[in-house]
Amino acid sequence: KATRKAIEEAKEKLIMPPVLNEREPIDDVLAEDKFLEGTETTKYVFTDLTYSIPHRERFIVVREPNGVLRKATWEERDRMIQIFFPKEGRRVIPPVVFKDEHLVTVFQQDRHEDILNMCIAQFEPDSPDYIRVHHRTYDDIEKHAKYDLLRSTRHFGGMVWYLVNRKKTDGLLTDMIHRDLLDDATSLITLYHMLHPECQSAKEAKERKLQGVDLIKVFVKTESQKEGYIQLALQAYEEAMATSTAS
Amino acid sequence: ALLAGSRLLKGYRGGHVVIRFALGGCTNRPFFRIVAAHSRRARDGKYLEQLGCLDPLPNAHGEKVAGLNLERLRHWLGCGAQLSRPAEKLLGLAGFLPLHPMTVTGAERLRRRARELAAPPAAGLPGAGD
Repeated sequence: KATRKAIEEAKEKLIMPPVLNEREPIDDVLAEDKFLEGTETTKYVFTDLTYSIPHRERFIVVREPNGVLRKATWEERDRMIQIFFPKEGRRVIPPVVFKDEHLVTVFQQDRHEDILNMCIAQFEPDSPDYIRVHHRTYDDIEKHAKYDLLRSTRHFGGMVWYLVNRKKTDGLLTDMIHRDLLDDATSLITLYHMLHPECQSAKEAKERKLQGVDLIKVFVKTESQKEGYIQLALQAYEEAMATSTAS
Repeated sequence: ALLAGSRLLKGYRGGHVVIRFALGGCTNRPFFRIVAAHSRRARDGKYLEQLGCLDPLPNAHGEKVAGLNLERLRHWLGCGAQLSRPAEKLLGLAGFLPLHPMTVTGAERLRRRARELAAPPAAGLPGAGD
């Protein structure tokens, strides 16, 4: 019974974090009172502290020194909500680690998973900072072929989605074949076909209804840029399979 | 024991519920809490409910942060609470209530004073130069 509970909790932790588009900047003016200009020197930020409203629908309003009453921008909203309703793992001002020059240091230390977890705790899923940090991490992993760092974590799904959308799947494919994970390779290619149904390998696969290694071979011939690497890896894998079945 | 209990429950003659600012914080560092209390109570004494806060000093981003629990505010206003003048001005600035007329008058007075400060030196200099 305890093992069942542990498995359920582990499954919960493996749920992929949401991937959303960037949010639109808020730009709504509620009132303009030009004669208030000059009375104050600073902005006033008013937050609605009603407990039972979801954070997305809260009223957060800014009165500028020139008398304009406008809705707060997303950064101001996040800051105010963190001040009045603090969430664990978030800071009011985002830590300096998330700037590009410091992300490079983090990647050199191979701590991609930690920084992605911190990013999820700190930012909303549709904020431009969240998306930028995630894209930087995935690009760095793909550049240095460090796919193994994220393999069993919940960020693997997000990484695969990013790579398939930009058609940069070659390194990942080679890595999978080297580690003899053919099921993962086939699922990767089926996902690719689902996302880009107009490409040649997808049409061929649908016509001939290929499975397994044949699917990978067709995909490699039509789509990939690093054909040589993948062909070599496939050959090595087939030789290994042949020797193991023979013996 | 009975005597101690009757000391704590203060009874008033008259008085009504007001929504006003209670000052707190340290030396040279004020901090206001927007509070619903009886009008006869001490400014910082026992209140009925805290409805928000206002930090009069600007923070690192140049903003004065204020929080207002609008739902409870509406409840107390429905129960018949009155507002103090700075509370009315703050709510007018926030947009919850229409703008207070004193805010407008204050703005006009400031502008008139600024104009008078700018005009007499300009009028006085040519006059003294003669």
